[in-house]
Amino acid sequence: MSGGYRQQPGGAGGEVRKDGKRVAGKLRFTPPGAGGSRPVSTPRNLDGIPESVGGNEPQPAGHHVHDRLRTGTTVGQATALVDANAKVTGQAWYGDDVRLPNEVIGRILRSPHHYARIRSIDTSAAEAMPGVLAIATGDDAPKTFGVLPVTKDEHAMAVEKVRHVGDLVACVAAVDEATAMEALGAIVVDYEELEPEFDPRKGLEDVDEPIHWRGKYHVGRTNVQKRVHQAFGDRSKIEHAAATSRRAWRFEGVHHGFTEPHAVVAHWDANGRLQLYTPQQVPHYTHRALATVLDVPMHQINVVRTFVGGGFGGKSDPFPHEMCAAILARKCGRPVRITFDREEVYWINRGRHPSYIEVKLDADEDGRVAGLDVDALIDGGAFASFGHVTSYYNGVLATAPYELGSFHYTGARVWTNKPASGAMRGHGAVNTRCAVEVGLDDIAEQLSVDPIDLRLANLLPPHSRTISGFRITSNGMREALRRVKEESGWDEKFRKMPLGKGIGIGCGFFISGSGLPIHWDPNRFPHATVHIQVDMDGGVTVHTGAADIGQGSTTAVAQVVSEVLALPLDMIHVRSHESDTSPVDLGSYSSRVTFMNCNAAIRAAMEIREQLLNAAWDMLGYHPTTLVMVDRRIVYKHDPSIGVSYLQALHKAQEDKGALIARGAYRSPPMGGVHKGAAAGLAPAYSFSAYVAEVDVDVETGLVKCTRVWAAHDCGKALNPLAVEGQIIGSCHMGLGQVLSERMVYGRTGHLQNANLLQYQIPSVHEMPHVTPIIVESSDPEGPFGAKEAGEGPLLPILPAVCNAVYDAVGVRPSSLPLTPDVVWSDIQKRMKAEDVEDPLELTSPRLTHGPLQEKLASRAEEHQSRDRARQRTEDTSPYVNGVLFGFDPTRPIDEQLEGWAAIDDPDPESMAEMGYAGRAWLKQEQRHMGGDV
Amino acid sequence: MLTPPFVLHRPTSVEEACAIAAELAEADRPFDWVAGGTDLLPNYKWHLNPKGDVISLAHVDGADALEANRVGCMVRLHDVATSDVVHPLLAEAAAKVASSLIRRSATIGGNLCLDTRCFWYNQSEDWRRSIEWCHKADCGTGADCRVIPNQNTLCVATYQGDMAAAFMALGAEVELVGPSGERRMPLEDFFELDGMKKNVLQPGEFLLAVHLSDDASSRVGAYHKLRVRETWDFPEAGIAAAWIPGDAASLRVASTGLESIPGLHADLVEAHADWTDTEGRKRLSKALQKAIKPVNNTALPPRYRRSMVSVLASRALRAITQGE
Repeated sequence: MSGGYRQQPGGAGGEVRKDGKRVAGKLRFTPPGAGGSRPVSTPRNLDGIPESVGGNEPQPAGHHVHDRLRTGTTVGQATALVDANAKVTGQAWYGDDVRLPNEVIGRILRSPHHYARIRSIDTSAAEAMPGVLAIATGDDAPKTFGVLPVTKDEHAMAVEKVRHVGDLVACVAAVDEATAMEALGAIVVDYEELEPEFDPRKGLEDVDEPIHWRGKYHVGRTNVQKRVHQAFGDRSKIEHAAATSRRAWRFEGVHHGFTEPHAVVAHWDANGRLQLYTPQQVPHYTHRALATVLDVPMHQINVVRTFVGGGFGGKSDPFPHEMCAAILARKCGRPVRITFDREEVYWINRGRHPSYIEVKLDADEDGRVAGLDVDALIDGGAFASFGHVTSYYNGVLATAPYELGSFHYTGARVWTNKPASGAMRGHGAVNTRCAVEVGLDDIAEQLSVDPIDLRLANLLPPHSRTISGFRITSNGMREALRRVKEESGWDEKFRKMPLGKGIGIGCGFFISGSGLPIHWDPNRFPHATVHIQVDMDGGVTVHTGAADIGQGSTTAVAQVVSEVLALPLDMIHVRSHESDTSPVDLGSYSSRVTFMNCNAAIRAAMEIREQLLNAAWDMLGYHPTTLVMVDRRIVYKHDPSIGVSYLQALHKAQEDKGALIARGAYRSPPMGGVHKGAAAGLAPAYSFSAYVAEVDVDVETGLVKCTRVWAAHDCGKALNPLAVEGQIIGSCHMGLGQVLSERMVYGRTGHLQNANLLQYQIPSVHEMPHVTPIIVESSDPEGPFGAKEAGEGPLLPILPAVCNAVYDAVGVRPSSLPLTPDVVWSDIQKRMKAEDVEDPLELTSPRLTHGPLQEKLASRAEEHQSRDRARQRTEDTSPYVNGVLFGFDPTRPIDEQLEGWAAIDDPDPESMAEMGYAGRAWLKQEQRHMGGDV
Repeated sequence: MLTPPFVLHRPTSVEEACAIAAELAEADRPFDWVAGGTDLLPNYKWHLNPKGDVISLAHVDGADALEANRVGCMVRLHDVATSDVVHPLLAEAAAKVASSLIRRSATIGGNLCLDTRCFWYNQSEDWRRSIEWCHKADCGTGADCRVIPNQNTLCVATYQGDMAAAFMALGAEVELVGPSGERRMPLEDFFELDGMKKNVLQPGEFLLAVHLSDDASSRVGAYHKLRVRETWDFPEAGIAAAWIPGDAASLRVASTGLESIPGLHADLVEAHADWTDTEGRKRLSKALQKAIKPVNNTALPPRYRRSMVSVLASRALRAITQGE
């Protein structure tokens, strides 16, 4: 537009007034913004509207409560992420891209010792250096914090003790990095070294100086941070097992390996409020922790989440360096920026726990899983982080997708003098899942049956309960298994390929949003809240605290709002960066965002929709139930020529009250049992996945190359299939890293030997197999438009699928990860020795001749398939609990029907100790039972 | 991470380079040579023995000339990998070095003069301080070797360049230039044991070019490299073999990535003159494995790397005798 005054339209007829002036048009201006990016609205796309409401979208898994809100706008369509442009053109602002006027550089002094008491810190020489603006030590912030309220054991900087090499001791703000580094060198710290501990197995023993002290709850004088025990079911079922697989695993710790190192900028603004810029997955926890540590009310802090260059769980704790930046900025009165080196990223860690996991599986003569015993000893490093939850997840997330005769879990997390472990994609479930799935493969081998058929004959159906009381709603496990079996050509390949070539199966089960918000009672405050605001221009501003960490949560929220309001995606603006404007949200972890925030967003959008439809009712005289929203129009259902434009309806709705504002919240339904730890692993929905992997193993060198993966994941409903496929492929890459090459190497001296991206071996594009993503849609009744998570669950199956494929290729079953060539090679050597073979090329690969059980399992799987289909489509709504397969009546409580089928509350320490390393943690008593430290 | 400041000298001729080197030596200013910088600069960032002066060979006239029997020190690995002039064995080995991005900068000279590597050494300054340094970068403390403690005389860091083995198998000679003139020697004599000393370069001397004799072109060679990932990773073991087909005695086998210097195994080849058949290849491969003793300072354990010597060797030998 050439600018200036614009004539009202309709005056183009060339009429000229008698005085020679032009005649102004008489038509109304088109409403502002009516076009979005497209000038005319498009007709309804019936392909994007479900069958149940008259569209063409097939619904094999049944209809959904949100179907009536579908407008065929974006949901289910491959959509480029709304922030993709900013990222691919380099305009996205990550943590270190924040530049504030007058800012200075902060650097952190780190402990050179594994474990030491700090006798004194002398900062005087450093303070006297020109260019040094502020120095802070542990004394400046004595209050503890931690991501979980029950285990606050971290300080901004070490108070009294340092607990691992790289632990924070002091920090310096200076005019530039070189000065700051020099100042760090001038700080004199007097340490008294203490005896460090690196081996989690030794953490079970009493020591003089435990790494933390839990008072009356401390277990003996050990380094056990948390011990967990759960037992369900009928243990007598395992006494006559037809097949048993017991395997002690060792899983190395792995790191998220995100691209962007941690970076933070802290700035106390003119009004004395803290503005903290940080790439956080969970800005709200940082917000809380900052308030505690800095002794400032939360409303005086604004946490600004920058773009996050990858998180995967590694940016979900409140971090000490965030506190350091704020403390330094307060001291020196200037903005302070701290950016980590890669090595510092490894020192703050929070990666997957190094674990010793023992899994025992028993199958009865009918090929049912009579017993699953898990013992998990996990190495927490120096701090608690998410470890309390991880301790549970390592067991309880193995209780599905199979129906179990009994389940026994002992878990323990111990502190060691290493960087803290924490939450990482697939939190707590990955390692145990690998062990369980490899165990099932072993069971199938012993029973001479096909491992996929074994699984298909033991699945829990949709709308059922697991042995520990998790409520399963939608369940696409069966379809996932069938699809990968079919598409991979399983029957032609399994146990039929030549030496060195193998194929394997693995399944996964994961939570779609943790059922309990960590900081509050779910009945008193919602999990997620979304605000929507629509003003005259028609653009829709959505405020949410959901942290987009690259997974596409902003896009998902925008999509559901766009779908409900039938507006093009570019009219939806999601604002999620600042805690000042976004409603309180738990952020991006436990795969909760799509499920919870999109549900909240749908609710808010429904409120806006109602206001618009009511306005249209006023204008058209047709009741809202007879109106439909199409692209930027509201029309009469039976005659689309009768209608108003979106803007007309909006302006009508605004007449009395200005901008339309709505909010929606999501709260999970009441769930779960009452036993200790019943809340761990509860989720409003669960995702399921099944992968088949094909590998080439070089039998002479032990090198494993994964060549093909068929990856089926049940995400309920793919809101954005493009993003779901991206998550599946990305999960394969990440999981392949853990199974093939990634590990945090702690050497002889306890130092992390490979704190850099050269020696920490993340697979390259050369190691990446061809992945065929298969999306399974089971339409979750409570998910937004049926959706469940797709971010973490897809990682789980790749590990066991590769392990099982390696067995198929060379006949050796791994029991430690990663499968670096030396590990596989030494397994092959062992097999050669056992079979007295000289040349590895003369080994034979395993073969399968179906035993008598095979047919039985196949027919059971057939039966279950029709059972599951009826339950999935809610044609059969009878209750189903784990145990029905073993002959129980689901309408009566199981423990009434059989003594012994119940949770065991009082564990016997001696028998627990037989379970494995973690069980031995029960040989010690808590201080309160020893009369100490009450 | 900050690179320590240094003065960069950019001579345009060999003479000027030697003059600058002599000048710095006179002024008692320690310096390093730099070619592509892909090895030196990361080490500088990690404060691994940084010097105050660095002389770049990037602008030395003619240093990047690539001919069939003379490869200049500034020739990029990428150019070797894609050249149809050089011996195919060199192209094969160059194509296996690091990643395509690094090969665009990294040079032949730099690869041959690669600093030895060790996971106690290739670490940040803070990290090395926390282990109280090591022999190779002791920061004036006289620290002990961390790989094999209590010997304190030898650095056992591992040489992990790929090109040396390939060049040795082809019988290459190196041309060294320095203030005291020019000299030439077989590549195998260029390397000198000890992970700190690495080679025979005198102060102020640098490697100007690698020469291949005319008979090199009649050689058939193969290079087999052990690594976890097909890119980025340094060789955990590498075996190059080349011979003039039909002439069993012409075989040259070299290893790299296993010890502090790459090695040519002439005596073993001589002792296994019957290496051309399957059994002979197996015996020679086993003998090589026996002769090489890696230590624990790279990603994979030494016992495994040593076992892989015979696998890599027999594969290389099989490859070059195919069609016989």
